[in-house]
Amino acid sequence: MTPVDALAESAAVWRRFGSHVAVRAVDLAVAAGEVVGLLGANGAGKTTLIRLLLGLLQPSQGSVRLFGAPPSVSGRRRAGYVPQTLGLYDDLTVAENWSFTAAAFGVRAALPASVAGVRNELVGALPLGTQREVAFAVALAHRPELLVLDEPTSGVGPLGRARLWEQIRQAADGGAGALVTTHNLEEAQECDRLVVMADGRVVASGTVAGIVGDRTVTEVRSADWARAFAVLDQEGYEVQVHGQGVLRVTGQAADVQKVLAASGIEAQARTVGANLEEAFVALVSGPAFPGRAVPGPAVA
Amino acid sequence: MTWGLDDVRVSFGRRTALDDVTVRARPAEVTIVVGGDGAGKSTCLKTLVGLVRPQAGTVRRPPKQRIGYVPATSGLYADLTVQENLDFIAGAYRLPGGQRGERERQLLERTGLAGVRARLGGQLSGGMQRKLAAALALLHAPDLLVLDEPTTGVDPVSRVELWRLISGAAAQGTAVVVATTYVNEAARAASVVLLEAGKVLASGSPDAILRAVPGAVGTAARTGAGLPGPLSWRRGAGWRVWAPGGELPAGVEPATPDFDDAVVVAELAAQAGR
Amino acid sequence: MWAMVAKEFRQLRRDRRTVAMMIVLPVVLLVVFGYAANFDVHDIPTVVAGPGARQAAASLRPPFHVTEVDPAAGLAAARSRLQDGEAVVAVVTGGAGVHVLMDGTQLFSVETAQGALARLAAARAAGTAGAGGAGASRVTEQILYNPRLTTSWVMVPGLAGLILVFVGTLITSLGVVRERQTGTLEQLAVMPLRARDVIAGKIAPYLMVAAVDLTAIVLIGMGLFGVPFTGNVATFALGAGLFLLVTLGMGVLISTLSQNQGQAIQLSFMIMLPQVLLSGLIFPVTSMAAGVRWISYVLPLTYFIEISRGVMLKATPISALGQPLGLLALLAVVVLGLAIVRFRHDLAPSGRRSGKDAQPRDAGSEAVAA
Repeated sequence: MTPVDALAESAAVWRRFGSHVAVRAVDLAVAAGEVVGLLGANGAGKTTLIRLLLGLLQPSQGSVRLFGAPPSVSGRRRAGYVPQTLGLYDDLTVAENWSFTAAAFGVRAALPASVAGVRNELVGALPLGTQREVAFAVALAHRPELLVLDEPTSGVGPLGRARLWEQIRQAADGGAGALVTTHNLEEAQECDRLVVMADGRVVASGTVAGIVGDRTVTEVRSADWARAFAVLDQEGYEVQVHGQGVLRVTGQAADVQKVLAASGIEAQARTVGANLEEAFVALVSGPAFPGRAVPGPAVA
Repeated sequence: MTWGLDDVRVSFGRRTALDDVTVRARPAEVTIVVGGDGAGKSTCLKTLVGLVRPQAGTVRRPPKQRIGYVPATSGLYADLTVQENLDFIAGAYRLPGGQRGERERQLLERTGLAGVRARLGGQLSGGMQRKLAAALALLHAPDLLVLDEPTTGVDPVSRVELWRLISGAAAQGTAVVVATTYVNEAARAASVVLLEAGKVLASGSPDAILRAVPGAVGTAARTGAGLPGPLSWRRGAGWRVWAPGGELPAGVEPATPDFDDAVVVAELAAQAGR
Repeated sequence: MWAMVAKEFRQLRRDRRTVAMMIVLPVVLLVVFGYAANFDVHDIPTVVAGPGARQAAASLRPPFHVTEVDPAAGLAAARSRLQDGEAVVAVVTGGAGVHVLMDGTQLFSVETAQGALARLAAARAAGTAGAGGAGASRVTEQILYNPRLTTSWVMVPGLAGLILVFVGTLITSLGVVRERQTGTLEQLAVMPLRARDVIAGKIAPYLMVAAVDLTAIVLIGMGLFGVPFTGNVATFALGAGLFLLVTLGMGVLISTLSQNQGQAIQLSFMIMLPQVLLSGLIFPVTSMAAGVRWISYVLPLTYFIEISRGVMLKATPISALGQPLGLLALLAVVVLGLAIVRFRHDLAPSGRRSGKDAQPRDAGSEAVAA
């Protein structure tokens, strides 16, 4: 993919706020027709990166291009943004929200059929899934070439999520590119590829399978699972309960087996592939980053 | 001692929020109520803890002293410090000083909040607030712990830590009921209840629900022509297809259904039944 | 730009409370205050005492409204009528002449009375030859309790009450609404706390702060403006305590009727505004048109002003304040009762569990069959 193909891209971009580095040396590109997921914890730099790409912030170092040129107002007009809070007015009807946005963008268009059925409902009275559909419709009204979506499907069940992704995919099929920011691993799996951020830098990038790689965890099955949990927890292992009497432990099967045996607990421990969540946690709390026990800065 | 709802019906005016809903909560088990927005998960949990009175059915719950509840909206006082929040809970549940101090220390360590006792609740990040809320609900070692969407909107790392806290509670014998919209969390429960529009679409262990998926499930690559059949939905760049009768349409590769598929199939089946 | 205007109008149209405030309220206020805002006094309750009472009474015309004529009564009885607030002017006839006592806490009434007396004197002087009887008697005037008719002396006791209405009603309502907004109210309902514990716990701090506030305001008023405190502190405390219970109860009631802080502020404001102008703080209650005056009689501040002015300036005994104290007590019971009923409904819709103590540990669970 040559630079000219990318709808939005950043090259070795840095952004500092005083002494705090929000984004460091990030390379990112979104091409037409693809859905890129930007995954990271709060404070990882996702929002700052988005604002850099849209030209709402200037980079401290490095370059940013939107539609092949430095970001500008006309560039932003060709993008569509749906924030997590949807950007709709709860106390207006669907039709009223539509006409306001259409007028603001100078676009004349009819409400799409998918939401026309609820045109006279107050947005605030609609269920969340329908609200999100309306928000998408409104954002897509001016046929943007780049979609920026913030947690587009959190809070909606799997069928609703599929329906919403239908709209995103349709836009992508039509040539638009989409950048989805999320810290929701279900949503992340819907994207074509993922960019994982932590502490301002990209720590992994690629497909889900690529990111998980060949990481493994140990699965422990035992009738005495409650005690197994307590013992392993005591020894400092990270343990999660999965289902009935099944534990997933971050660590080598052999070590885990030894610890359990030492406490007289009968259990079967075997090595299994890690899931995206476990891989993500391993990526963001590796030795290069502060341990998870640190609370982090006060959020004012 | 099993707690829960049995054939419970809850209506608010003309709207039926829960229709014939049964949820069982057993000690040392995590029961997850999963569903989309408006499915009735919050109503279900509120009925369980006594905030809502059902029009029909039975509710079994321990006395207030033995319940820990974290609502979807908050769970702590933003204008009190972490320590003050803990003090309030201890006072409200009349916890004796000695055992409380030790338990408090343990919970704070587990949640990584030991160093910020003096910080205001409102100044903690979202994930830390949820962890504190869970710790507050566990302070009095309840028999039944009920959490309404504890991980919605929370960063993945805090989410993992919250689940570790929940796992720990279950390991100590607490019956835990969690409401969530995240299907991948439901897959780790001992028992799952899938709710939609106030009705139970499926319930049982995740394995049992998977085994009960009728028909066959398959995948299809992205097609320019559109949907490969009416009972299909997007996943990633391709489609998942469900054939209730067992015969997958042409061009569709068979696939092993995962829990996500099971949930979608249950919802599609319910829609078809309507 | 027009899109923005259209949007704002549409949103406004749906926000009924704000529309009501913007359109209905000014109209209502104009009508009400038009009839209430009146400095003219047309009715001055007057008692006449002393041997020449009947003749004196006969010569008194409106604005004087003679309520009692008692030839056997003397100066002491007349004073006590004023102190008890039963009359504003007392005319005591006797050997030395006619002595007119006036209640200095009723500023406008006194000024009107003075004017009327002056006209009376002028008329008498002009027509002395034909009047006979009381023609040549000397008329002396004495203003009791507030001899120099100092406005601040009359205002400070009232302002103390007004400030408490603001603090008590508005701030209490916000404190409770905040819990509802953040969702912590739900959690309180699930904890082993009784509804009355929660309500008492919510009101108690505000009660204490308001009491300190009131004391401070009174002391500052006394220090800064020289307002006297001639009466019984315990009586004042009783009146203040009852008044606070009403205003705080009002705050809790407002909070049960509001979903968020914005609404609570709007409602509080609508409750507080009439109290500023219709409680007798500025315009005398007796001057208000009857159709509007009834509103004053349901406002707690009206009674508090009566009590505070009476106790501070006139040393009115508690026996004479039975009516305002009793009415405040009644208001307190009604408002607090309503507030508690609504609050309890908020806290424990499952009914049966509210008010019960936590079960003993081994009691297991209870099945709630519906």
